[in-house]
Amino acid sequence: MKKYFTIICITTLLFCLLVSGETVTREAMAGESISIKDAAGRSVEVSLPIKKLVVLTSDALEIIRALKAEDLVIGVYSDISRNSQFWPKLKDKPKVGNWKGLNYELVAELNPDIVLCYSQRPGRDMERKLEPFGVKVIRLDFFRLGTLEKEVAVLGRILKKEKEAMDIIAWYRKNLELIQKGLKNISDQPDVYIEGDSKYHTAGPGSGGHEMCVLAGGHNIASNLSIPYPEITPEWILMNNPNLIVKTTTKSTCGTSYSMTDAIPLKRIRDRVMARPAWENIRAVKENKVFVMANEIWTGPRAIIGTGYMAKWFYPDAFKEFDPKKLHKEYLEKFQSIKYQGVYVYPNEN
Amino acid sequence: MKDICEQYKGVTRKKLSFVIFLAALLFGVALIALSQGASSMGFKDSVTAIFQDSGIAHAIIWKLRLPRIIMAVLVGGGLALAGTVFQAILRNPLASPYTLGIASSAGFGAVTAIIFGGSFYSEYLIAGNAFFFALLSSFFILSIAKLKSYTPETMILAGIAIMFFFSSLSSLFQYMGTVEEVHEIVFWFFGSLSKVGWKEIGVASVMILLPTPIILRWSWDFNLLAAGDESAKALGVNVTRIRMLGMVFASLITAAAISFAGVIGFVGLVAPHIARMVIGGDHWFLFPASALVGAVLVLTADTLGRTLWAPQVIPIGIVTAFIGVPFFFYLLMKKTRQYW
Repeated sequence: MKKYFTIICITTLLFCLLVSGETVTREAMAGESISIKDAAGRSVEVSLPIKKLVVLTSDALEIIRALKAEDLVIGVYSDISRNSQFWPKLKDKPKVGNWKGLNYELVAELNPDIVLCYSQRPGRDMERKLEPFGVKVIRLDFFRLGTLEKEVAVLGRILKKEKEAMDIIAWYRKNLELIQKGLKNISDQPDVYIEGDSKYHTAGPGSGGHEMCVLAGGHNIASNLSIPYPEITPEWILMNNPNLIVKTTTKSTCGTSYSMTDAIPLKRIRDRVMARPAWENIRAVKENKVFVMANEIWTGPRAIIGTGYMAKWFYPDAFKEFDPKKLHKEYLEKFQSIKYQGVYVYPNEN
Repeated sequence: MKDICEQYKGVTRKKLSFVIFLAALLFGVALIALSQGASSMGFKDSVTAIFQDSGIAHAIIWKLRLPRIIMAVLVGGGLALAGTVFQAILRNPLASPYTLGIASSAGFGAVTAIIFGGSFYSEYLIAGNAFFFALLSSFFILSIAKLKSYTPETMILAGIAIMFFFSSLSSLFQYMGTVEEVHEIVFWFFGSLSKVGWKEIGVASVMILLPTPIILRWSWDFNLLAAGDESAKALGVNVTRIRMLGMVFASLITAAAISFAGVIGFVGLVAPHIARMVIGGDHWFLFPASALVGAVLVLTADTLGRTLWAPQVIPIGIVTAFIGVPFFFYLLMKKTRQYW
């Protein structure tokens, strides 16, 4: 009996030692722990340093590359192979899922420190499922100009790339100021109709597109509607008679813009917009002011470039010197370390 | 004897007057639809604009409102007519483009076209692909039915299996899609008549209006089919042939309607029932009545959808269900005897 008691005592003691030893080593490894606010406004505790990242959105991936933290990425969103030229170093990393969901087993196996995704998708059960594996979920959008700077700063803090984050933010601010300066002396705001991929679906307040239009000094004719992406009647567009039309298009409708070599696909989209029934009565069509913009520079990390193009289209005289293409080139070469190529707007800027 | 004849005439007159009432109703709704919209044109301006030959009012009426109204009538009428045919040849009150898998296969066609960037090559590729897949699935059902000698049960079962197959394929593609693609797919499934112009009407009217007289001519055969295959055969109806051709024509009409307007196949289920509850199962009257009910339903839904919350459009698929379902329940509760 005494023997058993001793054995039990020793085992318990050993177990306690083991457990406490484990916690000690963990704490020692954990180092500093910070609390950040994600895009949904929730506080998340993150233990630094972050060594391994899984990224579910291309927007976040672009910011990570701009922070020079590309090497930390061990898992990427599955669609990355569609745009392999743009992601020469990351295209072959394990594909773990997309903005809607992910392969939990694969993520557990990769054992990242954090998973980066949008604030709304995938759903909240992701946090619960990944918690047992010690994987934190960080939700950052990077598709709204209004919150972009804040999100970049947060990611910079997490990845200990504060200096790089400041560089990007400074670049954004510089160009935003440049646009604001150009808009200083304007009087008449042009009426603008924005259309996404689907015919007669516009961008109302609450959408990233509306925000860009306003920043570029345009008056969005949908600015007093109540939903972000409503379908509207063609007649309403006709009655509002916009001065300009900006049609945006995603990768799927014209391949990826980065790998595109000619503007024919964008031209085709523009021709079709201009040929819509009764649209010959719209000022924008009469005056040939219908513009097509690729999704890459629409809402997202490169929204500032899209905004620059819009400002130039809205006020060609005030922005004569302003060159959005140069801006884009600078962004890709300096922050993304890839060469500038592709077609992003039609008609071309020159 | 004379009394019975009188009675029959009385019943027929009642049915005929219902059809005439519906036609008048449709005309009235069309006039209202023509005068409602984002512009401030009143009823009188709208009507006079029909006869102008230029100007913005002319463009709005002739290029935007009129095509929309005509397409709503074509789509609503076509779907209802096809639904009546499906319900008659399958002798099943639940038969509709949904239960036969035509709606979901058309949806899959649209989804693939969207995912593979169809709208880049041609604006009609989405509609064309939806049409192709709708026909593909109905021919698949037909060939299965042919192997199993055209019993309504096999056709319905095959249809439901097809429905599940194509909806899960669509879900798979949606799951893989980007944010923008998923948006576009969802919009397509909501249905919309905003994209309709005269060209679309040309194509749709050929596919919807050509099979219609043939279907109407078979009204007697459809009546006899209701008594059961054996009785219909005994009375000289070529049951197999009428079932197959009926299926082909109804699929053609459905496919055309769905591919241009989105999945509003609900009309095909509910309009025939509404008509049947009022005038009974005689296909001579049932066909025109249910086509008119369908047309009124879709036109009313589209007009409400684009005016209630203007300039934002409430998708037609949603409004159709909102106004169709309560009305359907109302009739269902009012009806005392079993009507099917």
